[in-house]
Amino acid sequence: MSLQFVVDGLLAGSMIGLGAIGVTLTYSILRFSNFAHGDFMAWGAYATLVCVGAIGALFGKVAPIAPLSFGWPLIVGLIAGMAFTALLVLLLDKVLFSRLRRQEQAIIVVMGSFGASMALRSLLEFIFTSRPTYFSRAIQIAMPVGLGIRITPDQIALLVLTVVLVVGVHLLTTRTQTGRSMQAMSQNPALARVVGIDVAGVVRVTWIIGAALACVAGVMIGILIQIRPFMGFDMLLPMFAAAILGGIGSIPGAVLGGLIIGLAEAGAVQLIGAEWRAAVSFIILMAVLFVRPIGLFGVRER
Amino acid sequence: MSQTVLDVRDLEAGYEPGVPIVRGASITVDKGEIVVVLGPNGAGKSSLIKAVAGLVPISRGKVLLDGNDITAAPAHTMVRLGLAFVPQTENVFPLMSVEDNLKVACGILERREAPARIAEMYAMFPDLARQKRSAAGNLSGGQRQMLAVARALIIHPKVLVLDEPSAGLSPKFVSMVFEMLSAIRKSGVTILLVEQNAKAALAIGDRAYVLVEGKERHEGVASTLWDDPVVAELYLGQRPLKPEAGGAA
Ligand SMILES: Nc1ncnc2c1ncn2[C@@H]1O[C@H](COP(=O)(O)OP(=O)(O)OP(=O)(O)O)[C@@H](O)[C@H]1O
Ligand SMILES: [Mg+2]
Repeated sequence: MSLQFVVDGLLAGSMIGLGAIGVTLTYSILRFSNFAHGDFMAWGAYATLVCVGAIGALFGKVAPIAPLSFGWPLIVGLIAGMAFTALLVLLLDKVLFSRLRRQEQAIIVVMGSFGASMALRSLLEFIFTSRPTYFSRAIQIAMPVGLGIRITPDQIALLVLTVVLVVGVHLLTTRTQTGRSMQAMSQNPALARVVGIDVAGVVRVTWIIGAALACVAGVMIGILIQIRPFMGFDMLLPMFAAAILGGIGSIPGAVLGGLIIGLAEAGAVQLIGAEWRAAVSFIILMAVLFVRPIGLFGVRER
Repeated sequence: MSQTVLDVRDLEAGYEPGVPIVRGASITVDKGEIVVVLGPNGAGKSSLIKAVAGLVPISRGKVLLDGNDITAAPAHTMVRLGLAFVPQTENVFPLMSVEDNLKVACGILERREAPARIAEMYAMFPDLARQKRSAAGNLSGGQRQMLAVARALIIHPKVLVLDEPSAGLSPKFVSMVFEMLSAIRKSGVTILLVEQNAKAALAIGDRAYVLVEGKERHEGVASTLWDDPVVAELYLGQRPLKPEAGGAA
């Protein structure tokens, strides 16, 4: 068996993990399963694509940065895409989720997110058609790094980016006042208000972090695979499996869960065939729910 | 001349529209006082102070803090206005460390001031200092109550409002909590205290109210309230208050 699946698995796991952070934060702080989270990824990827296109129209063709397949326009586009996705999600919260939350029944919000998911996806198909597109069609040469593993410069860059983002978000949520407020909200919203935490502010930060990371994950998928309206929806099952495997509310858990699922998927593809990829998340999800429903880093509700 | 810190006037509040639980209650707390609110189970004591803290919708009446109208102020602005509230249950964040429980409450302090203030709380509650890294959920009941009180005091409140701080504690911790409240008052903090443990609360209190069915029915000096037959009647129906000490049925 070739060890190549490790690289593939870590990359898939990064995308799943970045998405799962948003899922787990939304679940623990806003208290609902957000089925539109995958579509935030797709919107992020398309927003970034549009920015890159706009930069191309303004500045002409820009040479890629040395070994990578992309140049600064993608980096600028990604940052703009993250901002756009965050604004889109805040708008969606204002017109939809915040109103549904007032009914204080999670199922209503979950159903709302289903609707939002379909609407967001259809809108992408309407604007961009369902034909896949790409950030770059250049083929990158994968470098051998020993043990029969090959990796492209893009892949290395994205893995590094994932590590930086995950560490950043982890520090933000554990070491800053904003992060402590988020923890407080997830543990006891009424007490959070009593100690002076503005719930609306915490809700905003939660959406912004989730949306920005979803955008990054979407762009990663766009760089390594392709961009299409269903790209995020197809990530839903692995993302939820990762968030639950890691333990709802735990950011390191979501990332570790993502990596485990990514590696398991890649291993399964190599061992038994690509058509089994989707089954892997499902099997892991079921196994966790049966054996340890609180996940790896979860804490029992008291 | 005593100065009124908290002035609750004719307050009506409840969880659902048209179903008031607090029905026209009026109480005042003067600077430096400990005021006790007593009353039978379900009288609306918790609802009254939760309404004061902004957690239960108010349909009529006023809450004034240092003369400022805070009736409509959202709950999260209360600490900034100077009112610190310690709920009856679930009053710490169980999965956060003791230190983080204190830090998260420092939001309204100057960034520089927070560490010094946390150190002062540790000096006041050495038990908390010893356990600053443990999750608050792992503390004993008494220590949890201390943490909740420390968290409330950290912002220099004008008035500290507590809901049954001795509930569910073992007798040793109960006396510790009341000693702690006495000490806090000596340091100049004004206290509004809801208690079931009437005897101990009246022993440290200055004035007391008896709340029945959402309205204060009696007010008096704490030390003599205990012997007032009217209170016994209001508080425990027809039964007198005294024979509780023997514990015989
Ligand atoms: N969250 C709530 N929603 C609806 N009704 C409530 C809620 N909390 C309390 N009540 C009702 O309000 C009434 C007064 O309750 P409250 O807790 O204020 O009484 P209390 O005097 O504090 O009692 P105790 O001594 O048991 O703490 C009760 O009838 C209770 O059922
Ligand atoms: Mg009560």
